[in-house]
This record gives sequence, C-alpha cells and structure tokens, in this order.
Amino acid sequence: MANRDAAPFLTLKGVSKSFPGVKALQDVSIELYPGEIHALMGENGAGKSTLLKIMFGAYVADHGSLELEGKHAILGSPAHALAQGISMVHQEVSLVPQLSAIQNIVLGREQSVAGIIDWKAARTEALAALRRLDFPASPYVPVGRLSVAQQQLVELARALAVDAKVIILDEPTASLSSRESDRLFEILRDLRGAGHALVYVSHRLAEVFDLADRATVLRDGQLVGTVLRGPDLTEKTLIRMMVGRGLDDFANLPTRQPGEVILEVKDLTRQGAFQDVSFDVRRGEIVGMAGMVGAGRTEVARCIVSADKADAGTVRAKGSDLPLRSPSDSVKAGIAFLTEDRKHQGLALHMSLAINATLARTPSRFGFINRRRQRQDARESLARVSARMPVTRLAGQLSGGNQQKVVLAKWLLTDSEIFIFDEPTRGIDVGAKAEIYALMRELADKGAGILMISSEMPELLRMSDRILVMREGRLVGEMGRSEASEERVVSYSSGGEKTWQK
Amino acid sequence: MAKIDADPLKKAASDAAPRITIGRVLGEWRQLGIVAALLVTVLVFTLIDRDFFSGYNFVNIILQASITAILAIAETFVIITAGIDLSIGSALALSATVSGLLLLGGFSFPIVILGSLAAGAASGLLNGLIITVTRITPFVVTLGTMSIFSGLALIISGGQTVYGVPPGFSDLLAGAIWHIPTPIVIALLVLVASALVMKTTKLGEYMIAIGGAREVARLAGINVAVFTAAAYVISSMLAAVGGMVTVARLGAADPTLGQDLLLPAVAAAVMGGADLQGGEGSMLGAVIGALLIATLQAGLTFLNVQSFYQQVAIGVVIILALLFNRLQKGRA
Repeated sequence: MANRDAAPFLTLKGVSKSFPGVKALQDVSIELYPGEIHALMGENGAGKSTLLKIMFGAYVADHGSLELEGKHAILGSPAHALAQGISMVHQEVSLVPQLSAIQNIVLGREQSVAGIIDWKAARTEALAALRRLDFPASPYVPVGRLSVAQQQLVELARALAVDAKVIILDEPTASLSSRESDRLFEILRDLRGAGHALVYVSHRLAEVFDLADRATVLRDGQLVGTVLRGPDLTEKTLIRMMVGRGLDDFANLPTRQPGEVILEVKDLTRQGAFQDVSFDVRRGEIVGMAGMVGAGRTEVARCIVSADKADAGTVRAKGSDLPLRSPSDSVKAGIAFLTEDRKHQGLALHMSLAINATLARTPSRFGFINRRRQRQDARESLARVSARMPVTRLAGQLSGGNQQKVVLAKWLLTDSEIFIFDEPTRGIDVGAKAEIYALMRELADKGAGILMISSEMPELLRMSDRILVMREGRLVGEMGRSEASEERVVSYSSGGEKTWQK
Repeated sequence: MAKIDADPLKKAASDAAPRITIGRVLGEWRQLGIVAALLVTVLVFTLIDRDFFSGYNFVNIILQASITAILAIAETFVIITAGIDLSIGSALALSATVSGLLLLGGFSFPIVILGSLAAGAASGLLNGLIITVTRITPFVVTLGTMSIFSGLALIISGGQTVYGVPPGFSDLLAGAIWHIPTPIVIALLVLVASALVMKTTKLGEYMIAIGGAREVARLAGINVAVFTAAAYVISSMLAAVGGMVTVARLGAADPTLGQDLLLPAVAAAVMGGADLQGGEGSMLGAVIGALLIATLQAGLTFLNVQSFYQQVAIGVVIILALLFNRLQKGRA
C-alpha cells in the first residue's frame, strides 16, 4: 500500500504536449509515491504513451513541470532519467539480443579501467539484481535466446541494478502467459514492498484490480481522475471514466437489410497471433472489428488476404474457398485490403497518382504499359472517390485523407467487392474523415461487404452494422447495431465480468 | 546497491558457461562449421594428391592467408556494427602507396609506419564521419570512398608502381621471427588484439550493442556516432597494416593493389560468423575463413586447375559455407 505520509517521488504538474495537429496531453497532473503500484489506464490514443515518454525523458513537455522528490527537474533524455532513478520496461523488449543478461544489465554503465571492462564487478552487480527476481535462466547466454518473460525480467533487473525508484511498466503482460503474468505480479508486489514506485499500464481490468493501489484514467489526452483502491475502484467506474459520456447522436441511423454472405472466415488460426476466428460479412454490410492494440485484429486481416500464412482455417469469398497462398490470390478474388500503414504498405510515395491508382491493375499490352489509358483510368477512379487532382502529383505530397482516397481508388479499379479497412481514418483530419465514411457507406450500399478494423469508438459505433470484438487473439463478442454501446465494447475488449457478456 | 554475495547463482551459472559471455561459446559453436569446412577441404586435396599434405605447403598457405586474415578482421569490426566497408581494398592501396613514397623519400621506418597508419586512420575517419553525420548507408558511402581512395593512390604515385623499397623494410615486415614468417606473426598479433578488444573493452561491447540494437544502445547513453566511426577507423588502420606488409613482401608499392582483396575479406568475415545484420562476429572465425579461401586457392593451383575455374570454385564454396552458417543459425 502506498505510504500516505511519504512525499511523492515524482510529480507531474499540469503537463501538456502537442504534436502537429494533435493535442496529445492537456494539463495532466500525476503523483507517484514510493511503495505504490499506480495503474495508468485509458483507451488507445488516450495519451498514456505520451505521458510515459515524458516521465522517461523521451519527450519534453510543452507546458507544465516535473518534480523529483519535491525539486524541480528536467529530464532531457532517457539516459538522464535513468541516472535520476526512473527506469522503464518497454512493451517491446528493448535489450541487445546478442548480449547476455549480465551484459545488458550493465550496458552503458560498465565500470572500466582504460576502456577495459571490469567484468567481475559487472557480474556481481547484475547477478545480485537477477537473484532478487529469481531469474530462472542462464545469465550468460545471449538474451535473444530467452523467452519474452525472461527478457522482461532482465529489463526489470536492469531497473533494479540502477536502483530505480520509479519503474514504468508499459503493458508488461501483453505477451506473457497467465502463469508468467502471475509470477511477474508476485515480483511487482515484492518491489512495491521494497519501496519502489511502479507505474503500471495495462488494458486488462482484472490485472488492475489485482495489483493497483491507485488507478489514474486518461481520456483524449486529459486527466479524468484518479481512483484509490477501495469501494470506488470498480469495473463500472473505470469503464465509465475511460469511455466518457454516451454517444447517442449516432444511435438513430437506419438499420439496413444485409444481403448474401460475401466473406466467410472459419476457424482461422495463426499460431501466436490468434485462434479459431470465425465470422462472416454480408453484402451491404459494414462489420466493425474492435479490440485493444495487440488483440490480433490486423493479424486476422493479413491472414485473410494471405499476407501472412494461416496455420488452420478457411476463408470463402463469394462462395469459393481461397487458396490462402499469396496476396495475389486474394486480389483476384476481389478482396481489397486498405492497410493501417498507408505510407509503407498502401502507397508508393515517390510515384505519381496515376501509377499509384493503377498499381493493382495496370493497363498494359504485351507487357508494355498504356500510359494514356493509365492516366485515364486513374482520373476516372479518383473521380469516383471525389479526389479531383492532377494525376501527375506524387502520392507523398498529399494529405492523409487524400492518400486514403487514392488507395481506395486503386482498389476500386480492381472491381473488388470485399473491402478490409484497417484503421481507415488514422491520421486523417475531421473533414476528410466524413468523406471517407461516406465513401465506405456508398460502397456497402452498392453491394460490397466491408470489414472495418478500428480503435476509435465513435467510428465503430457510427459506421458498423455489427461489431465484432477481439481480445488476446480470440473473437470474444459480437453485437448488432442496436445492442452496441461503448461500455459493452470496452468491457469485452478488456475482459470484463461475465455479466457484461451476452 | 549493496553488493550482495551472489554465490549460488554464480555457481549454477558457471556450470552452464565458463566465463564472461556466451558470445565466445556461440562463436566457437559457429566456428565449428567453418573449421569442419577447412578440414574437409584439406582432406579432399590430400586424398587427390598426397603431396598436398606438407608442412612447406601449409606454411605457404598461411602466409598467403595472412593479408586476407587481417582484412577480414578489419571487416568484422565494421560488420559487427551493422555496417560494411567496401573501401577496405582501396584504403590498403592508398596507405601502401603512402608507405612506398615515404620509403622512397628516405624516411626512417617508424615514420613510414606511422605515416601509413595515419593515412589509414584518415581514410577510416572520413568513412566514419560521412556515415555518422549524413546517415547515408555505409554500403553507399564506402562505395564512394572506394573510388576516392584508389584515385588518391593513383594521384600521389603518378599512376606508377613505386619501386625501390629498401631491403631493410622487407626484412622488417616480410622476414621471419623465430623461423615464422613475419606476416603470419603480425596477423596473429592482430587476431589476439582484436579478440581482446571485443571481449574485454567497452569499445568492443558497444560496437556489438550498436550493431545488435542501435536504439537500445542510444537509450543506454552510448555515443553511437563515436563508436560507429571507431569501427571504420580501426578497419582502415588494419588495412594500412595489410598494405605495409604487402609492400614489404613485394618490394614495391602498387597503387592498384587491393582491388581483389575486398571479396575474400568480406567472404572470410561472413563465413567466420559475422552477421551482416550486425551484433555478431568472430575474429577467430574471420581468420579461419581467410585460411579456407587461401587453402582453396593453393589446392586448386596445386592441382593445376586453371584460375578461371578457381574463381568459380571459390565462389561456390563461399556460398556453401554461408548456407551452412544459415542452417546452423536457424537451428540454434
């Protein structure tokens, strides 16, 4: 339990941080006491990562102040933060895979004489830290050979070795088995007992109830509040705080009558990513897919279009089984995949719109490209997505919204009827969002089937005829438009109580 | 933090691995493959012709391999940082020419050696600075400096081979110490020193960290630019060592030297366990790789195989050795 009499070790006061076009954090204050586990919660994009990075010196806040043990401080870099006793265990393991646990723990802080490392001192220091965690593997093998859980322990050991007073854990259980998680929790409780302040970020409500002494909730870059362990720390409170007020303004859209099944996914499994995912999409329907980052949604999409290999299961498009061998099969079957990462996977940024728009179907004869037709096709297709601009422009010069339109234009040219959108409006401003939504609706109304992966709650609730929810690689919930609510989606995706499920 | 006595874990761990790092164990494991390749090659040539198996022949092969070995070690330093040094042959030619001209100018041997090393250091510093400041990929940068260095070598020598190297210089670097040819001794010293740098110094440790996970190294407060540039300086200075030995052996400094040295150097380094993705490499492995290439060349020559066929055969063996490494790594 946090020691209320103690002074906070780290205090953030009124911290704000903006990025071009986005206010990532606004006026957020938080205190960390020695001997507490402080959960930091919020939906994707609520500003958790930004806050962590400010605590860890990777970002400097635009406004607000940071105090270490009551004294004003500026953390200019992660190395600086580390020297001040603030350490972070990253969501993705950040160790040098070729070096051993011992080498990683002392990396950058080696004691040396004339450049020659004192390995004896390094061993003593690292082994002491590892022993506190009952490190189960050899500290001498390259950490790249250890399991993710063991690698995480090495990161924790590094935090202990520098005697970090604040240890930030960013979704540490994301890739751990439940047994490994339990073991980690034991260790975290020990560390709390030893007086460390732990910041714990997790999407899993159960873990938070299990571990946290306090929970601070962020939403849209703002502090919603901090709840102490006790009667107030309930699932309902937390979900309400994370989600905010209801979104009734989207509720009164007409419900459509969907047509025949156009995409049918059955028992699709990819080891280590997701298991036994089955669902279908009908003509005229937009099916939303919700879930936290890492729940396996993008992985499912990538398997449907054979960008990754599925280990088991079938995908039927328009009534015939897909061979699931290579992406070109799925393109032929009329499946369009609009990736989340448009800049790398959706567009050739240094090429013209004409080339980009016709990339999936280039007009050619005997291998020679018909440039005139290419430009004409591109113009027509771009017109269909109401993106009227010269086809000679380079894709890299466009705004995010227009880039998404070009990607859509490309797929329209292939006569695709099944569209998979992964985060269709990420990085797109509000005006362009509405246009993208209108285009999606129009596609569906013309008989296409759409699967829309999204982390934005308003988008899911507004656009989807049905919502599927994934958690930890499994499809855990499905709801029709009329039964869908933000609370239900969040409780499914964070593993809420049984009573929340239908 | 208090230094807690860590005996139990230490004891358990020392059963698993002898000392310091598994890097060494893994290195030895990786070298198994190339050692096997070397032994098989020797065996095959011996089976074809008994006369191949002679002490005289082996000393010759090792002597032939010594320059390649030094360059392969140099290349390994750079590859460990996830870079590559294509300019290494040209840097050798440039510093060899510098040493030839200094010798011709009548300077004392220490001055000649320092001058040649300085030329190497300057070449490496240029590579390192361009790479760390502009962040252009090492492949392209050293491709450019490869041309620059060989051009400079031709300019300062007027395009002519520099003759008239004093016999004393040849005795110094290409003679013999206790009946062992000096180039072999030099290569051995370079090997031991380089292995020690990798195992015991911050320089070696940080080069591995930078090559293995650049961002992790940066976040750990390591000056990535300095240690990256250091690898290129070391590489070119070792090229200078190779250059001087070559000059001593030939008794002349040819500004077009080194063109043929790049391929065997990179091949030996990679066969010896250097990972082009960075973070891994073995100095001993690089040397054994150089020995393998020299053995192939010597053996094929011994069997009177035409040099055109030799080139093909060497290429095939390099690819086979790398394939073996790849399979070995996949299993590990």
